[in-house]
Amino acid sequence: MLRLRYFVHKELLLLGRDLHGLLLLFVMPAVFILIMTFALQNQYANDGKVKVDYLLLNQDDGALSQQLVQNIGLIENLRRVPNTADEDHLRAMTAADESQFLVLINEGFAQKLADGELVLQLDIAPGTRPVLVSLIKAQLKNLLGQLYLQQQLSDSSASQKPLPELEMPEMIASHYLYDVNVNASADQSRPSSVQQNVPGWLLFSMFFIAIPLSNTLISERHQGTLDRLHTMGFPYYTILFGKLIPYFFINLLQVVVMLLIGMYLVPMLGGERLMLGNSLPGLAMVAVSASLAAVSYSIFVAQIAKTTEQATILAGVCNIIMAAVGGIMVPRFIMPPAMQTLSEFSPMAWGLDGFLDIFLRNAQLVDVLAECGALLIFSFVLLLLSISLFSRRGLRNN
Amino acid sequence: MIKIKQLQFRYKGAEQAALQNIELAVPANTILGLLGPNGAGKTTLLSILSGLLSCPANTVFVDGCDISSRNTRLKPRLSLVPQDYAFYQQLSVRENLSFFAGAQGLSKSVINERIRDVSEITGLEDRLEAKAISLSGGLKRRLNLAIGLLNKPQLLLLDEPTVGIDPHSRHFILEAIKRINAQGTTIVYTSHYMEEVEALCDEIVIVDKGQVMLQGSLQSLLQAGSRQSFCVDLCELPTAESMERLHQVLTFHRDLLRLNIEVDSTSDIIDALQTLQECQLNIGRIHYGANNLEELFLDLTQRSLRD
Repeated sequence: MLRLRYFVHKELLLLGRDLHGLLLLFVMPAVFILIMTFALQNQYANDGKVKVDYLLLNQDDGALSQQLVQNIGLIENLRRVPNTADEDHLRAMTAADESQFLVLINEGFAQKLADGELVLQLDIAPGTRPVLVSLIKAQLKNLLGQLYLQQQLSDSSASQKPLPELEMPEMIASHYLYDVNVNASADQSRPSSVQQNVPGWLLFSMFFIAIPLSNTLISERHQGTLDRLHTMGFPYYTILFGKLIPYFFINLLQVVVMLLIGMYLVPMLGGERLMLGNSLPGLAMVAVSASLAAVSYSIFVAQIAKTTEQATILAGVCNIIMAAVGGIMVPRFIMPPAMQTLSEFSPMAWGLDGFLDIFLRNAQLVDVLAECGALLIFSFVLLLLSISLFSRRGLRNN
Repeated sequence: MIKIKQLQFRYKGAEQAALQNIELAVPANTILGLLGPNGAGKTTLLSILSGLLSCPANTVFVDGCDISSRNTRLKPRLSLVPQDYAFYQQLSVRENLSFFAGAQGLSKSVINERIRDVSEITGLEDRLEAKAISLSGGLKRRLNLAIGLLNKPQLLLLDEPTVGIDPHSRHFILEAIKRINAQGTTIVYTSHYMEEVEALCDEIVIVDKGQVMLQGSLQSLLQAGSRQSFCVDLCELPTAESMERLHQVLTFHRDLLRLNIEVDSTSDIIDALQTLQECQLNIGRIHYGANNLEELFLDLTQRSLRD
């Protein structure tokens, strides 16, 4: 154990002098977290800051169509781009993504509404997401429904007096099933962007430890340093553990630094504060399991790659694939069922589920044991394979 | 110190054995020169001695211990200095020495003492704080050697420790090796520099194609395995006419300007010189005496070019 202290010290010295390695392990994920947190802040916000731009051309001069224009203008998340150009010009602007929609109100609006004919045409900009289209269509349908009802009731009324405008009262109460942390501010009753982004990009960066770790291991193999250590009486597994232990702690340090960034730096820059959930043991368990998985994976990469170049490419590509499949880059809930099934096989997905359980779902230690177990089995299998490959191949660079 | 009996070794998947029926005995406190062309089996033999490659039981003994049993008692007394710079380029000389000493389980006070000793032997006292990557080739070789001395080995295996360095550093390393040997360390030394081996080693083993071709003390090998040679370097190439005349009188072979003339006695030398004078060939240099190690090595290994 005393000897391992020298291995740990040596690795820390080497990593401390490896500027690229440090940038990769600490600066890259920090930048990722900050960028993604602020870039996606509005995706997870509901405070009216998100505005969808639209153009509108009313080809009808009736009172009902004017009322529709007015009602569309009252929708909170829509912002009309003022423009008096003709239809072709407005359509060209929308096609160029200068607004996300063009709403065309057909001539003879009131009559067509009464007859159940087409009253509106919605032209959609090519860059508009389908989910947004569905939402806007639903909102427009709602407004048309109100006007239709108003029109019908008005027609059937004996007094022939126009009825007051119909306004749907708020009949749905909604809230996120997100348990507020004891330290949370009163208005933080939903998962914020930082809450969603920190775990994902943290895991992504943890697995990037494969690049510096495998590079040092392969360099040692090529330079004969491992041979030298072996002649000094170190068995293969001791040499591997001499690598695993320092990098395991470096990985945990990454976790701490990234969580601190989420808790303190993000709020300082105007974002919301990361809440650590209500189970520090659970969080520690997920962090330890994910770290062991990442380090074992790194050692395995060093065993199957022959050169540092191979290891860098292999680790980089595999990380991106695991992140893409595992829900880091694309949330799993928007994946089709087949892709969601596939994502079950990504260790990053297990780690992400574990972190999100703690951060979002008020999970306790016992709730994350399944994810942690999967990560630990993954790391155990890779370690066994690595030791087997290491001892079978010998230490020489062949 | 080293006893090898009927050692055979074949790499996995290789058609030919890398070592065949090796029989070797190396007394304690000697410097053994292990010579052989590239691919002869030198590094394989060093790897087996150092424990990097496993070998059959009861074939290799170091200080009485069968090394196939991976006897941990042996490890602290053995050290391999590989041909590569087997240390960390980004660490300083002191950090490298400290790591390798600490990794071998030495206590902190002993580590400092050993660092002081080995840096003095290898002349690195003034460069302890320099990063290894900034050292010259000669200093890197010295650091490579210094790491190998940290455990005060009884058996030191040196794999071409002077390759690619300037004459001053080579001289320094050779002197250091003599000092280490004088302190009681048995040394196995491989090199392609024959003059180094002649200057340094008491015992010589020449291996080729995995077999021991020759083994013995340097003096006995040079005397028994060699012949008297008489070489004359001419100032200009001989004409065809001169060559015909020379062949009538002398037995020789020509290598450009050099004539290697077979002689049995001093009078043969005088006759040869008279013949050269008759042929009006100007002599630039004359060499007479026993073959040196390089000639013996080339004779034994057939002089063919190896990879």
